[in-house]
Amino acid sequence: MTLDRTRPLFIRLLLLALLVLVPPVALLAHGAMDDFARGLVPEMDKKAAVVGRDLASSIERAVNYGIPLDKLHGMPEFFEPVLGANREIRYLAVTDRDGRILFISGADAALLAPFFSSADFDIAASRKALIDNFVDITQPLMFKSALIGHLHVGLDQDYVQSRVLEIGVDIGVVTLVSLLVAVEILLFVVTFNITGPIRAASTVMDRVRHGDFSATCGVTSEDEVGRFIHTFNAAIRYADGLFRRLEAYLDEVKTAHFDKTVVERVAEIESRIRFLFRFSRSSQPEVVNEHQATDIRLPLFLFVFAEEISRSFMPLYIRDLYMPVDWLPLEMAIALPIAVFMLCIAAISPAAALVSARRGSRRVFLIGLAPATIGFLMSALATNVWDFTLWRSLTAVGYALVTMACQSYIAQASRQQNRTQGLGVYVGAVLTASICGTGIGGVLAERVGFAATFMISAILAVIAGLLIHRLMEAAQPAQDAAPERRVAFLPLLRNWRFSALVLFAAIPSKIALTGFFFYLMPLSLMRSPDTDLGDIARMMMLYPIAVVILSPLASRLADRMGWKAGLVAIGGLIGGAGLVLPMVSPDSDLLGLAIVLLGVSHGLSASPQLAMIPDICWTECRNIGQTNVLAFLRLTERIGSVIGPFLAAAFIPLFDYTGAVVALGWVVLGMSTVFALLSFAFGSGPHIEAEDTE
Amino acid sequence: MDRIEQPHGTTASVLPPPRPVRWSLVRKVSLALVSILLSTLLLAGFFAYYKFESVYSSLVQSRYSFVVFTIKKRVEDNLNLGLALRQLRQVQDILEREKMRDAQVIAVEIFDARGEVLFDTDRGAIGSRVAANLVEALKGAPGQPFGATDEDALIVGLPLVNNLGKVEGGVVLRYPAVYVNYGVSGLLLELSKGILRNLVVFSILAVAGLYLLFGRVGRRLDAMERSLNTVMTNGGPAVVDRPGDAFEERFADFVAKSREAVDHIHDATQEVGRLDRLQ
Repeated sequence: MTLDRTRPLFIRLLLLALLVLVPPVALLAHGAMDDFARGLVPEMDKKAAVVGRDLASSIERAVNYGIPLDKLHGMPEFFEPVLGANREIRYLAVTDRDGRILFISGADAALLAPFFSSADFDIAASRKALIDNFVDITQPLMFKSALIGHLHVGLDQDYVQSRVLEIGVDIGVVTLVSLLVAVEILLFVVTFNITGPIRAASTVMDRVRHGDFSATCGVTSEDEVGRFIHTFNAAIRYADGLFRRLEAYLDEVKTAHFDKTVVERVAEIESRIRFLFRFSRSSQPEVVNEHQATDIRLPLFLFVFAEEISRSFMPLYIRDLYMPVDWLPLEMAIALPIAVFMLCIAAISPAAALVSARRGSRRVFLIGLAPATIGFLMSALATNVWDFTLWRSLTAVGYALVTMACQSYIAQASRQQNRTQGLGVYVGAVLTASICGTGIGGVLAERVGFAATFMISAILAVIAGLLIHRLMEAAQPAQDAAPERRVAFLPLLRNWRFSALVLFAAIPSKIALTGFFFYLMPLSLMRSPDTDLGDIARMMMLYPIAVVILSPLASRLADRMGWKAGLVAIGGLIGGAGLVLPMVSPDSDLLGLAIVLLGVSHGLSASPQLAMIPDICWTECRNIGQTNVLAFLRLTERIGSVIGPFLAAAFIPLFDYTGAVVALGWVVLGMSTVFALLSFAFGSGPHIEAEDTE
Repeated sequence: MDRIEQPHGTTASVLPPPRPVRWSLVRKVSLALVSILLSTLLLAGFFAYYKFESVYSSLVQSRYSFVVFTIKKRVEDNLNLGLALRQLRQVQDILEREKMRDAQVIAVEIFDARGEVLFDTDRGAIGSRVAANLVEALKGAPGQPFGATDEDALIVGLPLVNNLGKVEGGVVLRYPAVYVNYGVSGLLLELSKGILRNLVVFSILAVAGLYLLFGRVGRRLDAMERSLNTVMTNGGPAVVDRPGDAFEERFADFVAKSREAVDHIHDATQEVGRLDRLQ
């Protein structure tokens, strides 16, 4: 295990976290599921007895009117509403004294007949038996104190199992989220407490190895690493102190000694020492701090987690807040806060980047948290769509400031390291937070309600702020010179490759994300009576999971094969085709598949889209900087983010919910097809012809 | 060289005494890991409990809904004969029979569309008015049971509708809230025990694992610190515990260079002193 490398220590810690987190939750879940099953069965039996007793008394009343049991009419119609209203009751049957089935609803008579005919039913008491996958509760039918037959209420054994399984799935999501949170926290603990300080010590060590004693390591923690660094710094200070004493002595001899030869000899000694070693000019050595992109990962993770918590139920919450207005239909009202949120991010992000570069990431992060936290808090208290839209706009302002502050910090901290690695830290934190927030948000909202879940978002945002405030006080990387305010972006649009990428790849990709994933998905899934918020959340988790898995692979593939436009095209086509799938059947499984394919699509195309920029905008990158070109791409693609919800809302009255998904799919597929065709003309390598035309 | 001879002959370190470790790595990471474990167990327990509570209470509610449904059917059969709700005297017997069948039923009552109680298993309540929320609930779908809560009772009810579709009143059944609480309290107790047991066992495991992991880190840092101290005080080469480890080798170079600087400065100081003494 090397102390200055995060991975070995982190992997060991992760294994320990797996060992410590998974078995106890599995044991708890196992125990809870057993107790759950044991607790439900008596209550189900009671219900079956009540239903059986009531139905039996109705049948007995009819028989008492003189209608023979086997001549009763309309029994299926009599059973039907009972079966419809009680999902756990799978069948209702009436048998005669010999166990022959006279009437049955809900199950195949052939399946039950052998059991009913062989069982000893010649008793006038209710009884319980297991038949195949059913629990059969038998109720005697009496006429003038004589047994004339039996009423059978069949309970579905799978009903208990499926409810038990729901607990298992919920706990599974909690475990996954906990593991991901543990990964983030442990990564932070390792880098902040061990590898970061040790790397800072390494930097100072390298300087000392070259005779430079002008720096010490700026670590003040009170753990073993802090103690080591304290002794390490003490050694440098000791050497520095000896040198100061020597320096003073040299000065004294040089100025006071009358013998010029001695003075010359002393000056020689001084120059020899100064040649061999370097000490700080003042007696205050420079303090070296190691800034890493990972410093900001945990606060960023918590903040994005806070935002993503509402992902799975946002349209449902807006629907609840909607009060009918003639000129604003429900569909458009639901689209409004989602689109305004995206618009505000697009509008604020460029300014946020500038402010962040000038004022420092820490300060901008903390400034951004104020509107975001107020936005989360007030979203919980919103009473209609209008004030909710206002509070979401405020959250968007905070979101833009915080994310730009993080990007700025990462860009500065990863200057000496690898920029791609820094970008990976950002994307990793955002996607992991997306998985956790989406997964846990739906389950939480199901239990505690939408408003309380927004409150939890506010609390998480505050925790992120506290982390930044306490831990990053001294850890600010050196600021870049503030970027130029005015950069001419419009010439970029004259580059047809860039315009094609924006129009036919980036924008449709965002239309699919906000129109389908953010807007239509929760609304479409919630229409199924068997689907609850937890189910929606679990399905929506599939998107970030697919992106997390595929994104690094796509990056590597794009780098190795240089086939970036092709990957973007294939990604777009897959995403569009996925959305068209519900055309085959409106089944929620196909919607789930559409989510996975959207994740595959974005996983394949997101990194190559960025990687293409230096090739297709070679001249522009050189003129206005690659960062600015990428920022412009991100800005223009947000047009799709804003259009997406409105487009989906416009399609609903025309094609209904599933039809709207398909219609959106055709739009995305059409635009992606255009990009795929154009991508053949993209060629490969840097395109410098744009320079010739200018 | 600054070797400070103590009166009893030991050599004191030239470096200041090591800073005490107040928050060891094990303690820090244990706190993080045990907090995550506690949150995970609490969240998992919370979800399991509420799922059970919701399924259990809906099952109890649906059982009583069925009882209410059968009363509704009988009352509506009479209403469809053209009788007024107030005139259905036999309804009182039906209500009392249903209450007799289940000891958990607190009361069953029928009230008219204005909220006046017409029949009640508690005969003393006849003529009183039901809570406004129950009258309001009649405006819902006629076939859908509605739920409400009283001080210590849960209420399930259904509207009574005549064959012209007019809501004539409602039938409600009250059952004790404590019945559901009692049903789910067993699971809550088991979950609490499970959380506590798992927390204790796996926290011990976590701390033991972290001692193993960070104990090694601490020992390595401690060895390097001692090596630095020894070399700076007594001279000699720095001992590399793990040859081939880039960090330790760099550290050994650092120690050697620090010592070299100290020696050079010391020699230079002595030389300057010697020259200074030359008259």
